[in-house]
Amino acid sequence: MSEKPVFTVSQFVDICNQTLDLSFSEIILKGEVSSFKINQGKWVFFDLKDEESSINCFMSLYQMRMPIEDGMTVMLRGTPKLTKWGKFSFTIREVMPIGEGNLKKSFELLKAKLEKEGIFDSSKKRPMPANIKRIGVISSTGAAGYADFIKIIDERWGGLKIDVAHVQVQGLGAAEQIVHALKYFNEHGEVDIIAIIRGGGSADDLAVFNDELLVREIAASKIPVITGIGHEVDESLSDLAADLRGSTPSNVAQMLTRDKKTEVTKINENIMRVSNILQDKIRQAEDSINDSIKELRQKIILEIDAINSKLESSIKILEALNPEKVLRQGYAILSGKVSPGNVVKITTEKQEIKAEIKDVKSR
Amino acid sequence: MLNQDKTIDQKIEQLNQEIDWFYGDEFSLDHATEKYRSSIKLAEEIKKDLNSLKNEVTVLSEDFSKNN
Repeated sequence: MSEKPVFTVSQFVDICNQTLDLSFSEIILKGEVSSFKINQGKWVFFDLKDEESSINCFMSLYQMRMPIEDGMTVMLRGTPKLTKWGKFSFTIREVMPIGEGNLKKSFELLKAKLEKEGIFDSSKKRPMPANIKRIGVISSTGAAGYADFIKIIDERWGGLKIDVAHVQVQGLGAAEQIVHALKYFNEHGEVDIIAIIRGGGSADDLAVFNDELLVREIAASKIPVITGIGHEVDESLSDLAADLRGSTPSNVAQMLTRDKKTEVTKINENIMRVSNILQDKIRQAEDSINDSIKELRQKIILEIDAINSKLESSIKILEALNPEKVLRQGYAILSGKVSPGNVVKITTEKQEIKAEIKDVKSR
Repeated sequence: MLNQDKTIDQKIEQLNQEIDWFYGDEFSLDHATEKYRSSIKLAEEIKKDLNSLKNEVTVLSEDFSKNN
């Protein structure tokens, strides 16, 4: 027995922990929660069990970002540890309920808590920034949702700068990465809006977006946040905390950009309208010139008519005064001094007669 | 500022102003043809810009899992 190394109890506990660390630096456990309790408002204790075994689990309340309770099936990320009292325990870094029913329950519990705090108040929502030039995207670059988002953005508009924070968008650790990306964009302050993008998935896949710390980080973001998570029917607490929500990643791309096709149509319509206006104005000017010419012509015609009519009446007067006309009616013109013994000239229509005046009497 | 130095939005704004001129009191047939030609030219330029402008996508090199 003396050939074997002798340890103190504390040394043995340390060696056990080192061995555990080497073998299981971080592991993921799945099981059912039992004997859940919170001590001093700070520490969370419960047992994780399956049909045959049970392990004591421990975490700080701060790390419990999705509410859990007895009977829930959960996924834990953490490290095994032997305490100085010789008790084996699992120290949790992250916990996530699994299964639709458990997730729904956890969702409702956290939603009620955050609603009470006013995290989802509509009065806190900011509108879509005008004139977006730079977008911060938080997504997994390998995901279909991300590909859809970029495709739609590229189809609709150009000249944008898109900074992409490649993160895990499902499973344990994902919420933490998204929180880091949100902090990154807020610290650098270069983007006009942050878009959190993730395509459709199961309730378990989308559970990360109901993480309390992530929801609080979205609500506290200085830069407006828009979410496009899952499909229309998938509502996460991240959606509720964000300033704007798109029903899908593609919908977010549509909300963030104008459509160049619409813009071109608008330009063409405007040019067409201006062309019509121009033609109308030219037609109006032509009409106005034609009207003036017509009016002028009318005036000239009236003037000529007036002159003609004056002329005709003068001619008529002249004709009436023509002595020949009187002679033709049988009258004669007597010229010369009318006194007895004088010779006068008598002009008729066809003759000129000389006659001597024999007597002159008053009538 | 030369047209080539303007952003698409600035060009669209300029085009809108040029189009507004045709509806306004300052409209005169003497200048209309010249204005119309310049509007057409600007519209073509905007359409060309819209078709040629590409988005610049940068995947950040930061490892967001590093503090996990």
